[in-house]
Amino acid sequence: MLEASALTLSYDGRPVIEALDLSLPDDKVTAIIGPNGCGKSTLLKALARILHAESGRVMLDGEDMTHIAPRALARRLAILPQSPRAPEGIRVADLVRRGRLPWRGLLSPWREEDREACEGALAAVGMAELADRDLAELSGGQRQRAWLALVLAQGTPWLLLDEPTTYLDLTHQMEVLGLLRRLNRRSGTAVVSVLHDLNLAARYSDHLVLLANGGLVAAGTPDTVLTPANLSSAFGLRAQVMPDPVTGTPMVVPLDMADREVPA
Amino acid sequence: MRGAAVLAGLLALASVAALLRGQIDASPAILWQGLVTGEGPGALILDTIRGPRVATALGAGAVLGLSGTIFQTLFRNPLAAPDLLGFNAGAGLAIIAGIAFGIALPAPVLAALGGLVVAAIVGALAWRRGSGTPALTIILVGLGTGFTATALATFLMTLLPGTAAAEAQRWLTGSLAARNWGHAAQVWGAGIALTLLAFSQARPLKAMELGGELATGLGVRAEPARWRISGVAVLLAAAGVAVAGPVPFVALMAGPFGARMTGARSPAARMAAGAAAGALIVVLSDLLARSALPGLQLPVGVATGLLGAPYLLWRLSREMYKGEL
Repeated sequence: MLEASALTLSYDGRPVIEALDLSLPDDKVTAIIGPNGCGKSTLLKALARILHAESGRVMLDGEDMTHIAPRALARRLAILPQSPRAPEGIRVADLVRRGRLPWRGLLSPWREEDREACEGALAAVGMAELADRDLAELSGGQRQRAWLALVLAQGTPWLLLDEPTTYLDLTHQMEVLGLLRRLNRRSGTAVVSVLHDLNLAARYSDHLVLLANGGLVAAGTPDTVLTPANLSSAFGLRAQVMPDPVTGTPMVVPLDMADREVPA
Repeated sequence: MRGAAVLAGLLALASVAALLRGQIDASPAILWQGLVTGEGPGALILDTIRGPRVATALGAGAVLGLSGTIFQTLFRNPLAAPDLLGFNAGAGLAIIAGIAFGIALPAPVLAALGGLVVAAIVGALAWRRGSGTPALTIILVGLGTGFTATALATFLMTLLPGTAAAEAQRWLTGSLAARNWGHAAQVWGAGIALTLLAFSQARPLKAMELGGELATGLGVRAEPARWRISGVAVLLAAAGVAVAGPVPFVALMAGPFGARMTGARSPAARMAAGAAAGALIVVLSDLLARSALPGLQLPVGVATGLLGAPYLLWRLSREMYKGEL
């Protein structure tokens, strides 16, 4: 269980999240959604200890995260930041190997389990064939899968991802989200992503967290979170919600906004 | 692997050539005789005239090259090098100040202090709350701080008597004239200790190269790691500056040159290649500077400046093309 209690966060001196209480389930796929600037990414960074809390706590399986040593934490929880930048000229396999850093000491040799973790991660994202390629030569979708393989190789029970589908076209977005869900179903990895697209979030997640104005609007199954009332209060959006004709998950259909006044 | 062998071979060739060529050329036979018997002109060259100079050049080039490679990896920017970041100028200023005010501290200590103080100033001026500072901001702040340090050093030189001022001027350009075994021992001793420290940081550096956020996710405390690694790299540069002066552009060129030659990819391999390339650049530049024009011995910094300035322009145009500038 990954929990936040009375969590207050600020970014560049500006308060973003205020006194948030939240609990994210193990063994599930969770998406954090909300309007631009609502603090989705900031929250994710705090959950991964990239950002320190102004006040309040983040707890992993009941343990205060600030009491867990960095390397021990890196063996339990991995994070993929938004649009990471790779070193020039790096090959896919070398990038993925760096996911094993938390497991290796200065002089420890490359072990069988490290090799297996990297090969398993590359296979899971369908990149085994491209392992020897230069990352820069690959398409955007392939690059994103290589980064995913890096955090998968880390072999953690928790996987946090900041907008893993940015800059990808719809096909590749679905590919990445499908992959994360398969990973969750197969190995029980808890996946927490910040996502923009509400319908994709509903389709691929078990649990949604809807944020707005620095606080929690709703959390729970997609059916309970994506309601017209919640969408109106979080996004100021008038919408109908109906079952997705393919999957039956809730689908948000915005109403015409022509009558809405443009805010000054 | 083949590239690494070629680089090592070039380094050996350049060192031998640097021992042979000079105001008085020596033949390999004379040098060999001097080496074996310890007598004759060959022994004089090895012992006094060129031996310590070449040994110092190798050591200074290696620590500068290593320092530059570390900064370029840490800040993920090929322009991040201790010369552009102003740290070398800081080390140089401290040594000139030591001469001008008669501070009784050894040159390497002064250089290390100067480099660290400038690094702290650049760090403080460029520091931004919350979000990490972009590398380019740090480089620009470093450039400005470096110019200030150089201006102060020039001012301090006016306080020196004529001959001392001329010597200081020559030293500030970067010079290997009249180096003795003491200088060589100094740069090699400090260099080896600091190199071991630097390689002990290869693991966090590997994570930091992916950016501070991902490094944190991989179990590295990003902020302390950045200061720790920078500190070692500043000291490496200072060890070079203490014996050779703030030789320009060596630290900037060595990393990319070494990586290109050897095909090194991992930070540790690139660090080794950068050190070797730095040594090669300084030995060759010194050879060029003292033997290209008959009867005229130029300081090594003039040659690295002539090599480095066009390199910097080319690198800038490449960064602009890539949209990084």
